[in-house]
Amino acid sequence: MAHALEEGLALLRRRGTVSAVLALSLAVPLSLAGFTTSLGLWSRPFVALENKASVVRVLLHPRMDAGQRRNWINEQARLHQDWTLSEVDREALEERLKVWFPYLEDLLEGENAIELPTLVEVKAGVPEEVSVLTEGPAVIAVGPTSSIDRVLGLVARTATWLLGCISAILLASAFSLVATWIHLEVYRHADEITIMRLVGATESAIRSPFVVAALIPGICAGFAASVGTWYLVRMVAVAAEAVGLSPPAFPVWLPAVEIGIGVILPVVAALLTMARHARVGDAE
Amino acid sequence: MKRYRDSPRASRARRLSRKPELDLVAIPDVRVPQLGPQNRLRVPEKSGTLIGIDMIRLKSLTKTFDGRRILREIDLQVDAGEFIFLTGVSGAGKSTLLKLLYAAERPSEGGVWVAGQRVDQLSRHKLALLRRKIGVIFQDFKLLRHKTVLENVTFVLRFHGLGAREAHRRAYQVLKRLGLHHRQSALPEVLSGGEQQRVAIARALAYQPRLILADEPTGNLDADLAGELLSLLCDINYQGATIMVATHDHALLEAMPARTLVLHQGRIEYDGSWPP
Ligand SMILES: Nc1ncnc2c1ncn2[C@@H]1O[C@H](COP(=O)(O)OP(=O)(O)OP(=O)(O)O)[C@@H](O)[C@H]1O
Ligand SMILES: [Mg+2]
Repeated sequence: MAHALEEGLALLRRRGTVSAVLALSLAVPLSLAGFTTSLGLWSRPFVALENKASVVRVLLHPRMDAGQRRNWINEQARLHQDWTLSEVDREALEERLKVWFPYLEDLLEGENAIELPTLVEVKAGVPEEVSVLTEGPAVIAVGPTSSIDRVLGLVARTATWLLGCISAILLASAFSLVATWIHLEVYRHADEITIMRLVGATESAIRSPFVVAALIPGICAGFAASVGTWYLVRMVAVAAEAVGLSPPAFPVWLPAVEIGIGVILPVVAALLTMARHARVGDAE
Repeated sequence: MKRYRDSPRASRARRLSRKPELDLVAIPDVRVPQLGPQNRLRVPEKSGTLIGIDMIRLKSLTKTFDGRRILREIDLQVDAGEFIFLTGVSGAGKSTLLKLLYAAERPSEGGVWVAGQRVDQLSRHKLALLRRKIGVIFQDFKLLRHKTVLENVTFVLRFHGLGAREAHRRAYQVLKRLGLHHRQSALPEVLSGGEQQRVAIARALAYQPRLILADEPTGNLDADLAGELLSLLCDINYQGATIMVATHDHALLEAMPARTLVLHQGRIEYDGSWPP
């Protein structure tokens, strides 16, 4: 093991530039993928809105009691057979408000908590029709019917997908880059491999230095990617805070995943390449 | 074997050595008794010798290169602990025969057994393990270009399972024994032919193989060094290792009488003591 490490490091020292490029080619897509994950988690509520595209939100008068609200809902359901109405309970509403508008927390908690109007979600085939509800006395507001949240959701989802695809493509190219590099190194060392085989080196003794040579840039790439992701997420967080949105979080498990992929990907690439070219350096 | 070793010629060969006793071979000092087919005995493996079993056996071995028959139906048996010379003109197939023994070539017909294992049918892993018992001194040295003299010897010891420090110590000892310790940090390309050859010898001897296959080991050495190497091989043989030396250097054959095989036109034309 120690021997494999020494040999692998020697290989890296001789190919310093190449291994730095490899590490970089892994680190960039990894940090992008990590960033995409953070963004995806953060924008999940948006994406959820987009999924419920035809939902229109209606605010009922805060003074209505539970019975009145139920009656109103039943009445509307009877009048508009194609609508589905559901009341959002107060806690869920508070939760949503707190996530998106953290500064509202003071208003929503404690003794001086304000009385929140009741939010009813109306799922309608033609959302525009819901605006007729404004005419009734029970309703204080009807949310956007040509939904802005729909656009927001779409943007969030497209961005996540796009970034995800770019990271996947870059990761795949990093994989093939590592595989190609190992391929070249194996052929470059064909003479040495022949000699090693002749003096009794087992396959693992021959291959492990190459695995180490792929592994070490991978670990470095994993660390660099974690730092990169953290930095990108922070930039978005600063921007979000400036416009009063709650900032995206940097999940604690993300560096572990990034380092893990940084290790697994090149090692698998190296092992596969060497398995494909197992006969290089065979004496007979 | 002993018959030869006690002859005046053999002791003269040993006197050629400036350093009397070999300090690098850890194989216990088991003297090879006079053995014949009738009183074969087997010493436990850990004593380092395998007396009484075949170290090498070739059965109607034929090797063809592009339709040219280099070796024809060769039968050979070598006991563990023997010292053998393999001679013949250039191109007679000496190197080819040795390559077949360490499985760098596959026989076209027939079988090759080394230490009881059929080498041409071994899996990669088993072959690697078998090769660890064989020290090959290659005719073309086969040194690693990127490694220093010392590293060329230590790297083999490392994957034979020795720790870094022990490998260094042992490699240094062997190099010193071959008079190369002052060149330990040189790269092979700056060494003279004879120095490179001695590195190759050091590498083959360092891991104390039970079978040594030496292909023209004195090809680049002067007479003094050749005598010294022969005496070293002799010591190692005395401690139980089987040794086969391919050479066309008649002075070498003269200096150390031993069983000699003469290859001629693909066959073993002569098998016996030298001179015939
Ligand atoms: N890989 C090969 N392909 C074709 N022919 C080969 C190959 N290896 C050896 N030969 C031929 O086999 C013959 C024997 O070669 P070998 O190297 O065994 O001779 P040798 O007895 O060791 O000679 P020398 O004393 O010059 O080292 C030569 O004619 C050589 O051309
Ligand atoms: Mg030869």
